[in-house]
Amino acid sequence: MRLAQQPGERIDRSRRIKFSFDGRSVEAHPGDTIASALLAGEQRVLSRSFKYHRPRGELCFSGRCAHSMMDVDGWPGARACSELVREGLRVQHINAWPSLRFDVMRATDLFGGPFTPPGFYYKTFIRPRRLWPVYEKVLRNAAGLARLRPAQDEREWRTEYRRRHCDVLVIGGGVAGLQAAIAAARSGADVVLADEDLEPGGRLLVEGAHEEARDLVRTAREAGVEVLEGAAALGFFDGLVPVWQGSTLHQVRAARHIAATGTVEQSLVFPDNDLPGVMLSGGARRAAALYGVAPGAAVLVAATSDSGLDDALALYRAGVRVVAVADLRDAPDSADLAQQLGAAGIELISGSTVVRAAGRGGVSEAVTARVDERGVARSGTTKRHECDVIAVGGGEVPASSLLLQAGAHATYDERSGRFVAGELPPSVHAAGSVVGHESAAAAAASGSVAGLEAALALGIGGSEVEQQLAEARERLVAAGGPGRVAVAPALATDGRRGGKAFVDLDEDVTAKDIAYAVDEGFSSIELAKRYTTVTMGPSQGRFSQLPSARLIAKATGLSLGEIGMTTARPPWVTVPLGALAGRPFEPAKRSSIHGCHRDLGATVRWAGDWRRAYDYGDPQGEALAVQQTAGLIDVSTLGKLIVAGPDAGAFLDRLYPNRLSNLAPNRIRYGVLTSEAGRITDDGTVCRLDENSFLVTTTSSGAGAVEQWFSWWLATWDMDVRLTDVTQGLAAVNLAGPKAREILSSLTDLDCSAEGFPYLHARQGTVAGVPCLAMRIGFVGEVGYELHFPAAYGEHLWGAIMEAGREHGIRPFGMEPQRILRLQKLHVIVGQDTDSESLPAAAGMPWIVKLDKEEDFIGRWALELAADRVPESKLVGFTTANGHVPTEGAVIVRDGVAAGQVTSSRYAPKLDRVIGMAWVPTDLAVDDAQVQISDAGRILEARVTTRPFYDPEGEVLRS
Amino acid sequence: MSYVLTCPNCGTREVTDFAFGGEVTERPTERPTPRELNTYVYFRRNVAGRQREWWCHRSGCRSWFLAERDTRTQEVFWTALPGDAPPADEVTS
Amino acid sequence: MSLAFLSTQGAVEGVVAPLASSPMERVARAAGAQFVFRAGWNVAASYGSAQREREACAEAVGWVDLSHVGKLEVQGAPDQLVALGSELAGREVAAAGGGATPIGSGWWCPMAATRVLVLLPPGGGDELRETIAEALPRLAPSASLVDLTSALASLVIVGPRAREVIARFCALDLRPAASQVGSFHPGSVARTPGGILHEGPDRFRLLFGSALGEYLWTVVADAAEQFGGRPVGDEVLMEIDRETDGTSAHA
Repeated sequence: MRLAQQPGERIDRSRRIKFSFDGRSVEAHPGDTIASALLAGEQRVLSRSFKYHRPRGELCFSGRCAHSMMDVDGWPGARACSELVREGLRVQHINAWPSLRFDVMRATDLFGGPFTPPGFYYKTFIRPRRLWPVYEKVLRNAAGLARLRPAQDEREWRTEYRRRHCDVLVIGGGVAGLQAAIAAARSGADVVLADEDLEPGGRLLVEGAHEEARDLVRTAREAGVEVLEGAAALGFFDGLVPVWQGSTLHQVRAARHIAATGTVEQSLVFPDNDLPGVMLSGGARRAAALYGVAPGAAVLVAATSDSGLDDALALYRAGVRVVAVADLRDAPDSADLAQQLGAAGIELISGSTVVRAAGRGGVSEAVTARVDERGVARSGTTKRHECDVIAVGGGEVPASSLLLQAGAHATYDERSGRFVAGELPPSVHAAGSVVGHESAAAAAASGSVAGLEAALALGIGGSEVEQQLAEARERLVAAGGPGRVAVAPALATDGRRGGKAFVDLDEDVTAKDIAYAVDEGFSSIELAKRYTTVTMGPSQGRFSQLPSARLIAKATGLSLGEIGMTTARPPWVTVPLGALAGRPFEPAKRSSIHGCHRDLGATVRWAGDWRRAYDYGDPQGEALAVQQTAGLIDVSTLGKLIVAGPDAGAFLDRLYPNRLSNLAPNRIRYGVLTSEAGRITDDGTVCRLDENSFLVTTTSSGAGAVEQWFSWWLATWDMDVRLTDVTQGLAAVNLAGPKAREILSSLTDLDCSAEGFPYLHARQGTVAGVPCLAMRIGFVGEVGYELHFPAAYGEHLWGAIMEAGREHGIRPFGMEPQRILRLQKLHVIVGQDTDSESLPAAAGMPWIVKLDKEEDFIGRWALELAADRVPESKLVGFTTANGHVPTEGAVIVRDGVAAGQVTSSRYAPKLDRVIGMAWVPTDLAVDDAQVQISDAGRILEARVTTRPFYDPEGEVLRS
Repeated sequence: MSYVLTCPNCGTREVTDFAFGGEVTERPTERPTPRELNTYVYFRRNVAGRQREWWCHRSGCRSWFLAERDTRTQEVFWTALPGDAPPADEVTS
Repeated sequence: MSLAFLSTQGAVEGVVAPLASSPMERVARAAGAQFVFRAGWNVAASYGSAQREREACAEAVGWVDLSHVGKLEVQGAPDQLVALGSELAGREVAAAGGGATPIGSGWWCPMAATRVLVLLPPGGGDELRETIAEALPRLAPSASLVDLTSALASLVIVGPRAREVIARFCALDLRPAASQVGSFHPGSVARTPGGILHEGPDRFRLLFGSALGEYLWTVVADAAEQFGGRPVGDEVLMEIDRETDGTSAHA
């Protein structure tokens, strides 16, 4: 039912819009939320609860309760009480089948209680085990709250990210937050204010002071504050506060933070307190004030403080019929309020609270009574009230999770009956009701104090700031402290049987469940929470913090202070995973030749953070071409370091287990890097360019790590060495095959003859007009030249070589054929054939360790110790007989026990055999030994070889 | 972890700009026994409290520097290039 | 010189004239770039409408590929580097963290006490290269020089919305209180190592690994589009430079 126009309401009554709910057309005004429009149309039931599928109605009217979760235009998880109505919106209920009115799953409420106690998944649905697939299917269908769209692209959406540095971030745009922002901005600070509501103003909007709210927002903007509306701060991460607004994530890093986040009203626990019609009294007031909707035809208010009485009067003035107010206290703080209630003809029942709600499918009656210390109604004090709404106020909990995440501590203040956040870290301030400044005057003053303190701490503003701060502090003292709150009973009941009293409405956790959990030994709040799942639902315990703590206190006999609050965890509001993890673009490195690979139709794959050509459509044909004519591969991803300076050679000698300082200019040596534990960490080549400079290559994925390794040692040694990472500055290609020499010769004046340019030599000159370092090294087993040249010439040189090689039958080849070729030569790929424990001697390269080196080198001590020991296993090659390529990672078995592992395996077309590398027990690491591979349930027989499968003596390579 | 670090060369940056190099350890000066070697290679004090440690500004100047940070609260007490670092305290928490 | 293979300076025109390309050449072409051959490089000189490009720079935001501009890394003893830089710049240069100093229309950008990145003038850096080649052995005899022109790519983002665009993918603090013309901020750009040089009012030069060229172009274009941004050729940028010469930071 709509009320008469309310001052400050958000709806535009002059226009009407339509949307559909479960296929039914519903009328609304612009500014309505789905819940307010439905309530105006007398639709009380919004959803069915999680476990028991009991009908539920609107609770909070602020977008936080799980009751109002709906599927809006195919998006699950929208909250009806904060989702604005748009013309043509299609809204569906969730968690009820076949309909909201009749839900089959209600059976769990009526019959399933014994099967679904807290922690039921530890106790029920266990035997018989063969029924587990059935249980899973049933539970899976019963659980969950809504359906996601099946197609990936229908679920995707775009998150905008925006970094914002500022001096002061104010979280919360009520009167305290606004005053804080204004004070800081006027002092000269760069201020951002984030408020999660559609418009800032907080309680001002609901208490009839919306004009004041708008004035404050205008003042803030004029002072230079960036005001973010509809923007929820998700959490406090070491000073970084992400703020979620629409589909933009503002990543705000402020020098000071002011939390003016307000409080959250708590519910009351009594039998059937989940019936549609039971709502928070602040929520009922919001319905009337903001949307002009009567929460119901007759409202009973249950209060524990003056604010409940105030809510009752506000409802009455809005035109709602209030049947009575049950105040748990014996008398209100403000006699004036009592008087006004009397003048309005509203019965004030002192010392009483609600002890039962009754009705079918919704509230039709409320029972109030005086209760004893156990929460049980005293006989003779019971009163029945006909009503369809029970507006409950069970106390306020400060919304302090941001403060707690920042390192503050929550303690229970007996006097005020509240949890209070204290011990704030230095860069964090708090203002307003979150730290107990409840009245508008107190909140405003505390806001000014916080804003001025923040400015002062940052050294912004002059001496006027100190003066203004002193004045603001005086105003704060004058404004007085918070009003009295009666502590509600953990469970209020009329003592009769029947009905469920809920403490957590999201998770359908009842007061009985908490008692059972404590009975079973889960008596701390953290344990009880995990066992019963209380506070773990979509509203994350917003409305059940105090009720659950009270119940645990009652069951254990501990005080609320001893019980404490559960750990506050981000995010503060529900946020899509995409906002936190979605990335519009993934950083991708591409060689300067990449365009050519695309043109050639290469299969492109990720290799670390590089995009690389996996093959050009025919990996085996490409591998054969390298061995028969010539192949060209882009190896620009190799790490490349210039190591220069008078101490460069000595530096390298300390880092590598072999000698490098005695390399002559234009000579190349294979280099393996070892850790201090003597284990292989990376490999590559070292080429001496001249007396004082070397080019070091590393594996593609190890480039960054090697550069950091080198530069770290350099920072601790006093050596004159300069490192420059030129990985991306040099493109590199490998031209290999019987025709490679001829092709290269046609492009350069360098002497490419076997005598003029031997294996493991380097030459500098121009190739196709491009300055180049050519290195004769071998990874693929054929005569090959690795050309390093400025990346800017990538496409040019690639094109020139392909053109020159055309008549010789050159083919481009990718990573996959390269792997086949190197496997034929038994070349190790560090990280694939080795792991963090692999010692050089065990990995088939004992010769790389020169223990007779005079100099100390990294890993020396460990390698000396290892030299005396026989390794347990060794890396060898193997072939299999039957043509099945074992999976990389398959286990070598011996007497049924795992004894090693296959690290690489391929079919080699030129050899027409399956080849691979594996770690095998040392006694089997000899030619022709037989080993067994367990792969996908089969046993394969394999034969060991310690020599390369192709050109074992390297004659082809060195020709 | 979303705190900030101040690179001695470049200034304050998000911690993600940096690579963590571990707590400062002492390399044996003479040939260590196997136990001493294993301790040096594998064992760390792993202090819950103030720790002296290495950082590299891998996204910026790529220099290595030292820092002291409380590993429980992420409070960073100071950062400095190796040559400018205050002498190590023998007794740290 | 044995580091000649790192630099495009050693290219030889023969039967096939080597063409040095920016890593963003293909995406720029797809965006409508028209190229001109400048000092051995294929440079995106315009995108079809100089007027629209100028408007973008003046009223919204434009981005310009300057990857062809020369970049040199000098490493050596701190005092020698300061001596070298000060002579080249004609005034005392700062140590690392103190900001970059203009050298004509180039820049002296200290990364650390022992390492400096020199950005050569966009118009053609040959003169400055020669000056450095002459001054180095004299003022910084033990310093080493490596050509990083191909190693680093570079995008200039210019216009009143430049900071807002950069805030979409970079956590560096470029607010006026934290960054002035001449400030140099090495640090992560769009989740990759690099840096930003604040080279003029509302004008920022992004530096990053050349392998990330296509990626960074995509990121910048995506962030800038919502502000009415467009790619801008280096002709328009040079025009703007000529007009502001005398009032720009390069004075």
